[in-house]
Amino acid sequence: MANTQPSEFDFLRNVSIGQYLPAGSWVHHMDPRFKLLAFALLVGLATLLGSLVGQLVLLAATLLLVWQARVPIAYALRTVWLTVPFILIFAVLQLFFAPAAVRATGCQILWSWGPLLLTDCLVQLIARSVLRFATLLLLTSLLTLTTTTNKLAQGTEKLLRPFERVGFPAHAVAMTLTIALRFVPTLALELETLAKAQASRGADFGSGSRWAVLQRTRRILPLIVPLFVNSLDQAETLALAMEARGYMGGQGRGTFRQLQAQPQDWLALAVATAFTVLLWVWLH
Amino acid sequence: MNTTFDARKISMAGVLAAIAILLGVTGLGFIPVPTPAQNATIMHVPAIIGGVLGGTPVGWLVGLIFGLFSWLQATTPFFKDPIVAILPRMFIGVFAALTYQGLRRANVNENVAITAAAVVGTLTNTIGVLGLLVLRGYLDIGAALGIAVINGIPEIIVAAIITVAVVVPVRRIAMPRRSTV
Repeated sequence: MANTQPSEFDFLRNVSIGQYLPAGSWVHHMDPRFKLLAFALLVGLATLLGSLVGQLVLLAATLLLVWQARVPIAYALRTVWLTVPFILIFAVLQLFFAPAAVRATGCQILWSWGPLLLTDCLVQLIARSVLRFATLLLLTSLLTLTTTTNKLAQGTEKLLRPFERVGFPAHAVAMTLTIALRFVPTLALELETLAKAQASRGADFGSGSRWAVLQRTRRILPLIVPLFVNSLDQAETLALAMEARGYMGGQGRGTFRQLQAQPQDWLALAVATAFTVLLWVWLH
Repeated sequence: MNTTFDARKISMAGVLAAIAILLGVTGLGFIPVPTPAQNATIMHVPAIIGGVLGGTPVGWLVGLIFGLFSWLQATTPFFKDPIVAILPRMFIGVFAALTYQGLRRANVNENVAITAAAVVGTLTNTIGVLGLLVLRGYLDIGAALGIAVINGIPEIIVAAIITVAVVVPVRRIAMPRRSTV
């Protein structure tokens, strides 16, 4: 079995979901409810903060968290490198299609060539967007690298519970999330089997002209249709199994592992809240 | 018991959401087309199929989880904004379901209703995402309209073909097997 070359049928190789890095830091050990809340605060801040200085401070704080979580910085930054080409294209696009507000008066023109106009406001806008994307990328990687999917689903359900009073189906969302995560590797294997079976019958998925949209779509049907049909069949079996075990939705359902908040969880959340409020107040 | 989200609907939504995630991570969900964006996506199709087969609750759940993952896994800067990545996706399956149910109630042919649901679902995705990109100030309205027309049309065609191709055999094969206990 010397052949370790990944083949084109090896769909499972690409599945990096639920990639968990067991480094055992305090970030890993946090109660998922508190971790999710702190995470939501920081994501909200990164999304809504309009100031360049604010985004810089936030990125620094995020890097500090990555270091504290004992996630190797190079490993976390790997995803950031992947986005560099997109960020460059985005920056060039902004030069051509910058929102009108940026072109408005009050901005100093740094460079102009034909219809292209580089103003100091535009440089700021690009810098701010780049910082925001880097922060959001690091934060989301940090969450998935330090939290198992089970804990993630449990934390989500517990946090959304209060909203069930106003009709938000917290339990259904958490259950669907758990089932989806559980099925990704199973369906990846299924897809591999299907692709091999169809290829052995002479199917060709990859080639064809870019212009032949209809033809290319028709080519993947032998893969897509059985995948959906088989999966829906499995969903039916799963539903029967759930009902046979007396699944009745979220009401009165307990969990095997109870979440118990520790003082350090409260402390971490308090620090995150204080940081968010202070940064927001300082910049507004 | 809560019948809006019973075991059958939850398991169907879970499996369809898994397909949406899988289409994204394997690259199978991107069909090469001759537009500047290079690819037409079919990652939103599970949400449409969920809406048609399971109604609005399933369509909503699949869209929500698809949005959540497209946000967590995004390597395109635009989709790292949760408002752009998650919010519009929740409506794909809901609008597809409402279109399908409305047309079926008006006694429109089954295949026509499925196609219409696919078109509406895809438009929801395209218009929702691009509209929010404009509102959030990432894109100029002109650029967004250009992308909507150039990239939206192949996506609608591809989504319609796949939705019909999946829903028709599923209705014919899988559904009669359903237990009536």
